[in-house]
Amino acid sequence: MSQNNPEIRLKLENITKEFPDRGGSGTVKAVNNISLDICAGEFLTLLGPSGCGKTTTLRLIAGFESPTTGRILLDNQDVTPQPPNKRDMALVFQNYALFPHMSVFDNIAYGLQTQRVKRQDIQRRVNEALLMMGLQGLGDRRPNQLSGGQQQRVALARSLVVEPRILLFDEPLSNLDAKLRVQMRGEIHRLQRRLRITSVYVTHDQIEAMALSDRIVVMNAGKIEQIGTPSDIYHRPATRFVADFIGRANFVDVTVLSESAAGVEVEIFKRRITVASSVRRDGAPLVAMLRSESLTLRHDPALPQVLVEQTMFLGSEVEYIVNTGSQQLVVVEQDPRGVHVVAEGETIGLDFVPEAVHLLPA
Amino acid sequence: MQSLRRPQTFKRFASITQDPLLTLALVLVVLFVAITIVFPLLSMIGEGFSPKGLPLFQRYLSDPVHLSIVTNTLVMGALVGLFGTAVGFLFAFVQVRLNVPFKRFMHIVALIPVISPPFAVATAVIVLFGRSGSISRGIFGVRYDIYGLDGLTLVMSLSFFTVAYLNLSGMMRALDPALDEAATNLGANKWRIFRTVTLPMLLPGIASSFLLLFVEAVADLGNPLVLGGNYEVLSTRIYITVIGLYDTTGAAVLSLILLVPSLTVFIVQRYWISRTSVVSVTGKPSGTPQMMNHPLVRWPLFGLTIAICLLILLIYGTIIHGAFIRVPGVRYDFTLEHFDFVLNGIGAQAMQDTTLLSILATPLAGLIGMVIAYLVVRKTFAGRSLLDFSTMLGIAVPGTVIGIGYVLSFNHPTTLTLPVLGEVTLLPQLTGGRGLLGGALAIIVVFIIRSVPAALRSGTAALSQIDPAIEEASISLGADNARTFRRITLPLIRPAFLAGLIYAFARSMTTISAVVFLTTPQTKIMTQQILNEVEHGRYGNAFAYCVVLIVIVMVAISIMYVTVGSTTGAERRLEGGL
Repeated sequence: MSQNNPEIRLKLENITKEFPDRGGSGTVKAVNNISLDICAGEFLTLLGPSGCGKTTTLRLIAGFESPTTGRILLDNQDVTPQPPNKRDMALVFQNYALFPHMSVFDNIAYGLQTQRVKRQDIQRRVNEALLMMGLQGLGDRRPNQLSGGQQQRVALARSLVVEPRILLFDEPLSNLDAKLRVQMRGEIHRLQRRLRITSVYVTHDQIEAMALSDRIVVMNAGKIEQIGTPSDIYHRPATRFVADFIGRANFVDVTVLSESAAGVEVEIFKRRITVASSVRRDGAPLVAMLRSESLTLRHDPALPQVLVEQTMFLGSEVEYIVNTGSQQLVVVEQDPRGVHVVAEGETIGLDFVPEAVHLLPA
Repeated sequence: MQSLRRPQTFKRFASITQDPLLTLALVLVVLFVAITIVFPLLSMIGEGFSPKGLPLFQRYLSDPVHLSIVTNTLVMGALVGLFGTAVGFLFAFVQVRLNVPFKRFMHIVALIPVISPPFAVATAVIVLFGRSGSISRGIFGVRYDIYGLDGLTLVMSLSFFTVAYLNLSGMMRALDPALDEAATNLGANKWRIFRTVTLPMLLPGIASSFLLLFVEAVADLGNPLVLGGNYEVLSTRIYITVIGLYDTTGAAVLSLILLVPSLTVFIVQRYWISRTSVVSVTGKPSGTPQMMNHPLVRWPLFGLTIAICLLILLIYGTIIHGAFIRVPGVRYDFTLEHFDFVLNGIGAQAMQDTTLLSILATPLAGLIGMVIAYLVVRKTFAGRSLLDFSTMLGIAVPGTVIGIGYVLSFNHPTTLTLPVLGEVTLLPQLTGGRGLLGGALAIIVVFIIRSVPAALRSGTAALSQIDPAIEEASISLGADNARTFRRITLPLIRPAFLAGLIYAFARSMTTISAVVFLTTPQTKIMTQQILNEVEHGRYGNAFAYCVVLIVIVMVAISIMYVTVGSTTGAERRLEGGL
């Protein structure tokens, strides 16, 4: 946390952004006192539901909004009062925001022209960018003559070519159809790992966030819920909100039997297990989170019996909604090839992987 | 580390003041609007409510003669609104919903009145349908008295209906055909669909057209002057009060009375009706509307439209024909003497002056309109909607009222008495023969403020269709606001800019009501000269002026198309790119 850590490229310090209330005299806190460090070369994703403040945070970083309170430091330099065009960052927009009256070449050259780069250097760098993005031969086209995926590549090339200190992404893949989105996700991933350009990425798509990020910041109602690696966020969510927002989570009430240095001993589904947990209980009740894929259904009378209420075949997996008698759970069986698909109305035993149990404050 | 909390308005102002150029642009346009629109209006209001003016209110509003003038004005406005909207609706409906031939022809004829000089249509109607009209007397043998409400309604409806036509045809095209299909699917026939779906959706557009035409009619000076006869309205009364009686206070009071219906209707149209509209005119046709094919609907409407087209062509034909004959309506031998008078005689100076002043005013009006549109749509600052509203006053306020305001404000140097420095001259005299540049500056300024609102509206409409992210992308790539405006915004709103320019030039060349009080012996204006010729019964000269004026406007429009670019290309690009 030291101020002079050279690794830290971007630092948000106690950022709050208030907007005037709709129709009223009051204000709404879109971003509520968040602090965040982003390291050089890191790919960081702001993830959350719509209205959680992630886009506002990105626009604050870019400079399109100015914070009500707090500071933004780029390489230890306060850029809070700087207008967006003076900040060495480039933003990739959700709708690509290509200049419709310019050719692809001119679109990509635009930032370089603004920087007054020499004409022959512009020529060379734009051509390199076209080549890198697989757009060779399309330089003379207009944006509207390109497919959605190509437009997205032009938008990316336009931002990359100015070699910004930080690349910002505002839900860049949300306008693409499902297949293209997966393909572009792969390309962004490859490109970022190769160039190691510091990136801040906004999305509401958890899969995208996990696929791309070094670290994920989960936001909710203007606040940061958790910062961590994709695996941390998925397996060890800090709050019930994070657990619920990412992946499919079942919450099961547990009875705490004892606490020790080794962990918390709980009873769950009539089994006693010890869970290594950092949650400080202090007498407060706990709840166990179990991912749907950590649960399995087996014909075994020794196991607690559940009623299968709904069965949905999804191709790569089967999703069941089962009732334990006290609550509903979602169970996912992977790769159902050759495995017996349990019919609706059947009663069956429920099993789980003890290591997958994660404890949360209730 | 925590910075001090500041009130929101300051914060938002900070974002615009971050850029000195943007601040400068804002300060300049605010000053311009304040000096050229708000200040003259305030002077006029001040004069009306002065000790000299207040008793006049009581006199005018209790005296039957003046009361009948007020009633006349409102009745005329309502009738023109009604008939103009009806004709506009007819043309729009035939254009969008009927499967009939000659659509292109009807469209072009409907656009002709836009560039008509005032008096032209009125004078031609007198020649055709007046007491000794070539149709009324020549064919039917009646001495019809066209002067008065009937003639005014006819002429103004034909002169102004284009606005209603464009407005309503845009809306009809924007109506989602899926709604019709849904209604058909639910078992409704075409008449029922029209009654229960189409018409209610268009109602805000119809109301809005009616109100626009109402405002335009009550503000008009040229037609009532020529064709009013005994039917006196407020604008002509104001004109006579100034020109005949030299009574500016009386004129200011009458102007205030005229302002009440004009501004009320304008505000209702702009801030209420336009918000209740459920159809958004985006310029993108959402599909092919279903055509009305019933012969009992199709052919009567088609026939009526063609008849109106022929009437319009007849009127314009009369104007052109009348310019080449000795005495229109009386002696039909060919002559060029009228053109000689306009091009080489006394008229030449007016032609040159008007054209030059319009050429100077046009780009300024277009640019100011675009800059205000940009500031109002894209930037947040205190008083944003006030700036928009004040600019719109340039056209919402009747021209005669603006003219009176200018006479009251700028017929003497504007001075301010300061405690220490004494009297300081802020502005020299602008209007009148001793005004700056022989009064020419005031005329240019009036041309500008009368045209900026149209440019502002088309600019606002264009800008609201451009994703702000496109401009943000430019800024994100390091360009400042000025460069972004020049390289991105302006090229993208080029069609709107061009529309603004064309409107500004046509408006400047043909305006009369606002500048009629501002012309001086040194600076003559064509429309004023036309009025002169009409009043002296020299219709040939008037028609020659009109022809020359129309030619100048058409040439200018062609030049603007070539230099600024075609309207369609940029639009298509924009649509495809988003």
